[in-house]
Amino acid sequence: MTELVRMTAIDKRFPGVHALKSAQFDLVSGEVHALMGENGAGKSTLMKILSGIYQPDGGTVAVEGKSVTVQGPRAAQSLGIGIIHQELALMNDLTVAQNIFIGREPRRSFGRLDEGKLNEDAESIFKAMNVAMDVRAEVRTLSVARQQMVEIAKALSYRSRILIMDEPTAALNDAETNELFAIIRRLKSEGVGVVYISHKMDEIRRISDRVTVMRDGAYVGTVAAADTPISTIISMMVGRDLENTDVDIPDLSAAPLALEVRGLNRGRTIRDVSFTLRRGEILGFAGLMGAGRTEVARAIFGADVRDSGEIIVHGKPCTIRSPKDAVGVGIGYLSEDRKHYGLALGLDVRSNIGMTSLFRFQNRFGVVNDNALAVVAKDYIAKLAIRTPTDRQEVRLLSGGNQQKIVIAKWLLRDCDILFFDEPTRGIDVGAKAEIYRLLQSLAAQGKAIVVISSELPEVLRLSHRIAVMCEGRLTGILPGGAATTQEHIMRLATLRQGALEEATA
Amino acid sequence: MITRRNLIAAASVTALMLSASFASAQDKLYIPLVSKGFQHQFWQAVKAGADKAAAEFNVDVTFEGPDTEAQVDKQMDMLAAALAKKPAAIGFAALDSQAAIPLLKQAQEAGIPVIAFDSGVDSDIPAATASTDNLAAASLAADKMAELIGGAGKVALVVHDQTSRTGIDRRDGFVNQVAAKYPDIEIVDIQYGGGDQLQSTEITKAILTAHPDIKGIFGANEGSAIGVVNAIKETGTTGVVVIGYDSGAAQKAAIMEGTMAGAITQNPVGIGYETVKAAVAASKGEAVTKNIDTGFFWYDKTNIDAPEIAAVLYD
Amino acid sequence: MTTAPAAPVAAAKAPSGAQQKILAFASLIVLLVFFSVASENFLQTSNILAILQATSVNGVLAIAATLVIITGGIDLSVGTLMTFCAVMAGVVLTYMGLPLPLGILAALGTGALCGLISGALIAKMKIPPFIATLGMMLILKGLSLVISGTKPIYFNDTPGFSEISTGSLIGVFLPGVPVPNGVLILFLLALVMGYVLNRTVLGRYTFALGSNEEAVRLSGVNTDAWKMAIYALSGAICGIAGLIIASRLNSAQPALGLGYELDAIAAVVIGGTSLAGGRGSILGTIIGALIMSVLLNGLRIMSVAQEWQTVVTGLIIIAAVYADMLRRRRAG
Repeated sequence: MTELVRMTAIDKRFPGVHALKSAQFDLVSGEVHALMGENGAGKSTLMKILSGIYQPDGGTVAVEGKSVTVQGPRAAQSLGIGIIHQELALMNDLTVAQNIFIGREPRRSFGRLDEGKLNEDAESIFKAMNVAMDVRAEVRTLSVARQQMVEIAKALSYRSRILIMDEPTAALNDAETNELFAIIRRLKSEGVGVVYISHKMDEIRRISDRVTVMRDGAYVGTVAAADTPISTIISMMVGRDLENTDVDIPDLSAAPLALEVRGLNRGRTIRDVSFTLRRGEILGFAGLMGAGRTEVARAIFGADVRDSGEIIVHGKPCTIRSPKDAVGVGIGYLSEDRKHYGLALGLDVRSNIGMTSLFRFQNRFGVVNDNALAVVAKDYIAKLAIRTPTDRQEVRLLSGGNQQKIVIAKWLLRDCDILFFDEPTRGIDVGAKAEIYRLLQSLAAQGKAIVVISSELPEVLRLSHRIAVMCEGRLTGILPGGAATTQEHIMRLATLRQGALEEATA
Repeated sequence: MITRRNLIAAASVTALMLSASFASAQDKLYIPLVSKGFQHQFWQAVKAGADKAAAEFNVDVTFEGPDTEAQVDKQMDMLAAALAKKPAAIGFAALDSQAAIPLLKQAQEAGIPVIAFDSGVDSDIPAATASTDNLAAASLAADKMAELIGGAGKVALVVHDQTSRTGIDRRDGFVNQVAAKYPDIEIVDIQYGGGDQLQSTEITKAILTAHPDIKGIFGANEGSAIGVVNAIKETGTTGVVVIGYDSGAAQKAAIMEGTMAGAITQNPVGIGYETVKAAVAASKGEAVTKNIDTGFFWYDKTNIDAPEIAAVLYD
Repeated sequence: MTTAPAAPVAAAKAPSGAQQKILAFASLIVLLVFFSVASENFLQTSNILAILQATSVNGVLAIAATLVIITGGIDLSVGTLMTFCAVMAGVVLTYMGLPLPLGILAALGTGALCGLISGALIAKMKIPPFIATLGMMLILKGLSLVISGTKPIYFNDTPGFSEISTGSLIGVFLPGVPVPNGVLILFLLALVMGYVLNRTVLGRYTFALGSNEEAVRLSGVNTDAWKMAIYALSGAICGIAGLIIASRLNSAQPALGLGYELDAIAAVVIGGTSLAGGRGSILGTIIGALIMSVLLNGLRIMSVAQEWQTVVTGLIIIAAVYADMLRRRRAG
C-alpha cells in the first residue's frame, strides 16, 4: 500500500469566509477513504484544491511522495487525479464517448476527429469496468445512475490512481448504489485510491475503510470505518452528541380527518391510490425510486392532471385543478428540489417567506407593506430557528437546512395546514436534519397534517406515525409507525409487484 | 398532434384566401410597383394614387417596398419576384440604381417596360420617370424660411437620411439656396434622424439646447418634421419657425395650431397615379413623356383647405 | 457481462435533431408544392434561382449565427458586421485600388477580427453575449457609416467583383442552370461547416460549450480560447456574407444591415437549433433559410398584400418553434 496523497496544513480563504483552517488528508492506494462533515465543513473545498479547481493559500500537497502544485483541472488529470462532481458535469447533448474524451479527442490532421477510435476507446473503458453501455447514446437519454457511470468512466479514462467522488449516490436508488459499489470495490482491488464524500452513514459503513471527519474547515480526526460506531462519527461531525429518539406516536383516533384521497389515478404512474390523513398526524410515504410517491403528491396538489380521484379536505370534497386551488384549501407542497421550485435564491429571506402571501401585505394600489412583512418574517425566523444574520440576507447564502426552514415558513404563513414534504432533508447535513425532524414533529403537535415522502428508510421510520408504502404506482400497504415496523417490512411492500399483489388479494 | 406541417398548411391556406381576389382576375393587365418604402404615410399615398389609376384603367396593381430605405437587397428580391409574375409593365423606385441594373436589363430583355417613380432610376432603361424635383422643392422651403425669419439668423436641418437621393437633394437644395441668396442666414447644424420621429425629436432637443437663439428648423421629411414639432412642444420653445416636408395628419395638425409655419408637399397621389398611367400606356406601346413632373406645393394655414392643396395632402 | 443490470442498458433511442430536420424539410416541400399549384409563375427556373439568390445572404448569416447559438450564445451583430466587412472590402478595392484577392482577404479578416473581439468580450470580460453583440452591432453600424463617409462605395473599378455573387460558375458547365455564384458559395459553405461541426474538434467544443460549459472547463479544456475561436469563425463567415451582398449590389451600402440578424436567427430557429444551446445543425439552418425565402417569394408571386406577408412569416416562426416544443415534450 503506497501513499498516494498527503495534504498538510491546507489553508483557504474566500472573501468573508475562512473555508479551510490547516486541514489535512491522506490517501493510500487500494482504499476507500470517506471524507465526512456537515455542509460547509470544507470537504468539497479540500477536494477542489486536490483536483486543481482552487489554489490553496497555504499548506502542501504531495502526490505519490512528491510535493506538487495542482495548477488546474488539466494538471490534476496528468497527476492521475480524477473527480466526479456532486452536480453531474456532463454535456447532455453529446454522446457517452464524446463526453468521456472531451478535451482529448483522438485527432487527425487539421483538427479532424477520429470518431471511430473515440468510440472504441470508450467501449474498452466500459468493458474494463464490466458495465454494458451504448457509448453512442446521447447522455440526456440515460438515467441519472447511468450518467454517474459515465462520470466514473471519464475519471478512469485519465488512468486516475486517485478518484474523488462527491456524493455519488445522491440521486441513485438502492440497486444502482449496489452497482456503483461493485465498481468501487473492483477499482480498489486494482489499487486505485478512492475519496468518498457522502452524508449517508450506512453507505460509509459499507464501502469505506477509513473515515476522516472535518468540521468548520478544520480536521477533526481519522478513524477506521469498521469498528467505529456511527454515533461516534456523528458526534465528531456535529461536535456534540445527538439525541436518538424513538418516534412518539400520539393517539389520533379522535382527531378529525384533514385529508381523504379516494381512487387517485394518473396514467401508469398512479393506480388507484386511496388514503386518509388526520390532523396532527405524520404519514410517511416510502418506496423505491419511481414508485409514484412524488407523483401522488403532485397530483393531489394539482401540479399534474389527474385521470380520476376524489380529494376531500376537512370533510368537504374539493375540486383541485391547479396548485392555486390546492393552496386555496390549505394544501402546501414542499418540492424535493428546493432550489428550483421552492425558493427564489437571489431574493432575501423576507421576500421568500412572504412570496405566496404577498396579497396580505399589499394595500389596494399593490404597494407591499415591507414593515409588516419584516415583522412576520422575523417572527418565523425566531420560531423556526432559521440561522440567518438578518431577514434581508439572500437565501442562496444560507445552508440547505435553513433554506428548507424558509420554505416551511413560506407555507405556514400561507395558512397551509396540510403539508407535503418531498425529501425534506435531501442535501441537508446531519445536525440540521435532527432540527428539521423536531420542527416537523412540533408542527404535527400543533395540529398540522403532514405527509413526508422520503427515500431514506431510517428517516421514514424515525418520523412517521403511519407509513404508506408504494410500488409501481400503487399503494401496497399502510404500516403502523414505531418500533414494531422495521425496514424489512417496508421493503417487502415496496417490492410487492403487480402479480404478487393479485395473488395476495385473490 | 399539431405538426408544423399542418400549421404551415393552415397558414398557407389563409394566404391563399387573402390572395383569392387577385387570383380571380388574372386576365387583366398586371402592373407591380416596387417602391422604396411601404409603411410610411407618404408611400401609402403613392399607393392610393396607383390604386386610383388601377381602377380607372381597369388594371391590377400591387405595391411593395422594404421596411427601411437601407435594405437594397430586399428590394432586389421584390423586383425579382415581380418580374417572375410576367407583368405588363413595372413601376420602380430604386433605392440604389446600380444594384438594380441587372434586373432592369432582364426586364428590358423580356420586353417589360419600366416606369421609374419618386427618386427614379439612374439609367436609361426606364421609359419614363414620375417624380418630384426635390432640389427645387427644398429651395422653395429655404425661400419660405428666409421670408419667415426676416432673412437673417441661425437655422438648422433635421434630415431623414444622408445616403438616399431624396435626403441629399432636399438637404442640398435648402443649403445651396441659403448660400446663394441669404448671406445673413447661418446654417448651424445638419443632423440625420433616419426619418424616425422619436430619434428626430431627440436630435432637435439637442439642437435647441446647443443653439438657444435658433430662428428656424427645417424637417426634411414627414418623420423628421414631426420629430421637430414634438421637440418644440416638449421643450415649450416659442419663436422658432418650423418648416416641414410632405403631409400626414400630425403635420397638418401642427400647421393648423401654429407650431409649424408651413410645409412643402409633393404630390404622392399624383406620383402613384402618373406611374400607373404611364405604365399602362407603355405596355400598349404608346409614347410616354420621359420626365413626368408631378409637382410640389407650399402649404400653410391659409391654403391648407384649398381644393388643389387638399387633393394632394394625405393623412 | 453486466454485474447488476438493474438500470436499463440502452435507453430508448433519443429523437435526435434528425426528426426536426425531416419535419422542416417536409414543410419546405409542402410550401414548394403549394406555391407551384397556386401560381404557374412560381415553379420556373428564373424564379427558383431568384429564391436561391434571395437566400444566399440570409443563409450565410444564419450559418454564422448557428455556430454561436449552438454554444448557447447569441450574435446580434451578424448583420452590421456583414456590412462592415463589405465596407472594408470597398476601402481596400475602391479607395486603395488594390487587387481583388486582397479585398476578399480584407472582408474575411475584418469579420474574423470583429468576431474575435466579440468572443473576447464574452469569454474574457464575461459580458453576456446579448449585450456584447448588441454593442458590437451598434459600433459596427456606426463605423461602417464613418469609414464609408456615409455614402455607398461602388466597385466599378474592380472588374470581376460582381462575379463573386452574380456570376455563374455552374452556368459555364451547365448552360441551362445559371445558378449564381452566391448560391454556390452558400451551399459549399454549408457543406464545409457541416463537416466542421460534426467532424472536428472545433465543432465538438461548439456543441459541448452549449451543452454544459462548466463541465467542459472542468475537463481541462481552454473554453475561453475555443469560444473566441468560434466567434471569430462566425465573424469570418459574416465576411463571406458581406462579399456576397456587396457583389450582388456592386456596392457596399453602409446603412444596410440592421434587422438582418433577426432574419438569420429566425432561420436558425426554424431549422431546429435550440436557442438554449447544445443542439442544432447546418442542414436545418439552410432549410430554415429556404423556408423563409420560399415563403416570402411565394406570397409575393401570389400577390398577397405586403402587410399580410409579414403576418404569415411571424406565424410560421411561432408555429415552427411550437411544433418543435411539442415534439420535445412528447419525447420527454
